[in-house]
Amino acid sequence: MNDLLFNIGYGHFLVLAAVLFLIGMAGVLIRRNALIILMSVELMLNAANMTLVTFARMWGGADAMNAHTFALIVIGVAAAEASVGLAILVAVFRGRRNVDVDRLTTLRH
Amino acid sequence: MKIVVWVTTLLLALGATSAIALAQEPNEHAQVNAPRGPVHAEVAAVHPHGDIVEAHDPAMALLFWVFAAVTVGGALFVISRRNLIAAVMGMVGSFLGIAAVFMMLYANFLAVIQMLVYAGAIMVLFVFVIMILNRPEDEPVAPSGRIGLVVGGIAVLYLVSRLVLLLVHVHPPNPAVASAAPAQLVLPSLTGPAETVDWGSVKAVGSNLFDAGLFPFEAISILLLVAVVGAIAIARPLKDIDAEEGGS
Repeated sequence: MNDLLFNIGYGHFLVLAAVLFLIGMAGVLIRRNALIILMSVELMLNAANMTLVTFARMWGGADAMNAHTFALIVIGVAAAEASVGLAILVAVFRGRRNVDVDRLTTLRH
Repeated sequence: MKIVVWVTTLLLALGATSAIALAQEPNEHAQVNAPRGPVHAEVAAVHPHGDIVEAHDPAMALLFWVFAAVTVGGALFVISRRNLIAAVMGMVGSFLGIAAVFMMLYANFLAVIQMLVYAGAIMVLFVFVIMILNRPEDEPVAPSGRIGLVVGGIAVLYLVSRLVLLLVHVHPPNPAVASAAPAQLVLPSLTGPAETVDWGSVKAVGSNLFDAGLFPFEAISILLLVAVVGAIAIARPLKDIDAEEGGS
């Protein structure tokens, strides 16, 4: 127990990333507001990034910089995803006056 | 009918994790028992686990727990608040905590980018959209029955505990490197002598980005251009709707 509290190893960072990912996934599953769902997706992307950075630190050396480059590109993709997703939400809200995903059922049939 | 679905899901999840655990265990033993050379024996003698990021420093451990609490607390704030602005503020706190964790992992450049891009740009975008939409609040969670909550809670607890037990036993491939501060990198230079830079610094990441990551770099620039044009095209008000609403 003492070891677990005071010896911070790579497992701690991986567990933190996993918990963050699970919280994001829970947000996607239980919330109905599309804005919160987008934010939860951002949380999941960040958790994946944290795992990448942890493994880079674990591996060390020049090759590990590949993981940092990959994490940078994930951040870029997340920015693009957020901008397009928010634009879609604005367009949906303009037509329907709400962004509740349970009520956006026009495409169901 | 609903309970049948839930129980089936639970059984499937249990079976899947047991299969994963069974597949994992022999592997783990093989890794533990494999000889790792004299360097590893030395490190293992100093650090019993061999996977210490910051060796036996209580202050560092305290900082890790503080930032982990900030990160997880902010994330929980995001998915539990009814007020969207409060959710965004929790998100900003979470991103700042993640940036601090990146700094603890010697990813200096990524930590700064995390603060600039996420806590700065993306969150400002979210706040703008929340203020444009002006009334997008809803029920906090979708309705679900009591049985669903109990079964789902048990399944989640079981899965999380299995995941945590698996992840805390991760061992680095070369503990001698992994338990010390990362060594500096030597970058070749076209014009002058080779340059020594810090691991995870702007120069180290940039050198890799324009070497191994050149194609993804160009692809992401095109993706961002398409996203900018697409966002403007989607969010621009159509003419007839605009006239109908009196130019709101």
